[in-house]
Amino acid sequence: MSEFEKLKIIAKYEFLKHLRRKRLYAVMGIVIAVVLSILVGLPVFGVDYPDDVTAMAGMLSISATLASIGAVFFAGDAIAGEFERKTGYILFPTPVRRTTLVIGKYLACYVAVALIVLLGYGMVCVSLLGIYGQIPIEVGTSFVLCLLFAGSVLALTFFFSSISKGAMGATVMTLAFVMLISGTIDGVLMMADQPSWFLLSRAGDAIIMVYPGFKAMMTAGMGMGIPAGALEYDIGLCAAAMAAYLVACFFLSIFFTRRREML
Amino acid sequence: MCEAIVIEDLTKYYGGFLALDNFSLKIEENEDVALLGPNGAGKTTAIKILCGLLRPSSGTAYIEGINVVEERELALSKVGAIVETPEFYPYLTAEENLGYLGGLRGMRGRGLKSRINEVIKLIRLEGWAKVKIEKFSRGMKQRLAVAQALLHDPPILILDEPALGLDPRGMMEVRKIFKEARKEKTVFYASHLLTEVAQVCAKVAIIDHGRLRVYDSVARLRRKYRSLERAYLKLTEAVI
Repeated sequence: MSEFEKLKIIAKYEFLKHLRRKRLYAVMGIVIAVVLSILVGLPVFGVDYPDDVTAMAGMLSISATLASIGAVFFAGDAIAGEFERKTGYILFPTPVRRTTLVIGKYLACYVAVALIVLLGYGMVCVSLLGIYGQIPIEVGTSFVLCLLFAGSVLALTFFFSSISKGAMGATVMTLAFVMLISGTIDGVLMMADQPSWFLLSRAGDAIIMVYPGFKAMMTAGMGMGIPAGALEYDIGLCAAAMAAYLVACFFLSIFFTRRREML
Repeated sequence: MCEAIVIEDLTKYYGGFLALDNFSLKIEENEDVALLGPNGAGKTTAIKILCGLLRPSSGTAYIEGINVVEERELALSKVGAIVETPEFYPYLTAEENLGYLGGLRGMRGRGLKSRINEVIKLIRLEGWAKVKIEKFSRGMKQRLAVAQALLHDPPILILDEPALGLDPRGMMEVRKIFKEARKEKTVFYASHLLTEVAQVCAKVAIIDHGRLRVYDSVARLRRKYRSLERAYLKLTEAVI
């Protein structure tokens, strides 16, 4: 039996896990709620939808960005869970390479997260068509960047899952890294007018900053002495940063999983 | 007769703690050998190394001539194992858990399905095959552990306290299953239950403080020490 066939089996059962757990539907629910709250909330408070379709697209795409951060809730227990819950005692004595296990689990998690991102962008497209009668081309760029961001957040979670004792630890560490550590350093560098494209949170912001209307809206609302260049994003550099996180964290997670002992 | 399991000078440190100390053992094909020893003697460590769950600090082990440390996957394809108290995936049913593990061992289609039915019948969980594991008791999970070890009909069984958590009836049934299995399989059975061991295995390796104290047939040990219990007490009397 080839490793590829084993990989398909692992991905299938891992995906079944996501389908049977409530968190997939919870994150989907959050995405739907965020989009609806923007669509309904603005008119309720007497605020008109922006004139620029790309400004509205940026606002609605925030839901998908949130969805990609939801990746941590799928992947936190992917590796650590096998050790923490002792399921590794039945899984690891099977004749499967640990590399195959990690790849299979990653693929299953990625498909689950991609489904949510797809739902988010589906809602963005339907909403824009309904309100403006058009879908700007930037939605496609944002969608691709969002998929890349989801992949890199997932790989980062896999890395923490491969080195932490428990699933909760991996989830917390990933969220802390992306939202607190990376976010804080990003804020400091932004204030100092220094480049921060190499930070995952900054690279992730590119998902909504590809929309010119949204960027203009953000620039107009900025204050507190934040330099004007702070909202200048090199999309290619941001994409390269996300790809680098994805590749590096993914290989590190394989490396540590292979070395890890089931004590 | 060739050797099914060969353990050569296995040493394992957990930090500064020596769990296995140059432990060596050879088990012939179709032999049934019990690994006896007090808590912390090194039984589970030896079993875990054989199942590729731990790396030895030094030494090595072979399964049917295949180095477990260097060719883990190939060596494990010949093994059915129960290690410690295994857990199953709670979101899957008993049947699905076995389907997953069988699939990873190259089983598929009707053959896999009929074998799953066979082993589920063997462990008397027919009524629970389509129930999710989250509803299973400790004893039922242990029965399922027996089923997954036998699923792919491996030539070698490596069992760490397989009767743990079972009620008396369950223990009797599991004992019967392994008595039957040993007719055509090599069984390496770690336990600290002397009565259990005496009924299932013909040979015993007694281990204490990571070192092999004796490796002989149950019959010879009984003759020499008057009972297996006396042999065990005499050979493991060192202070923990």
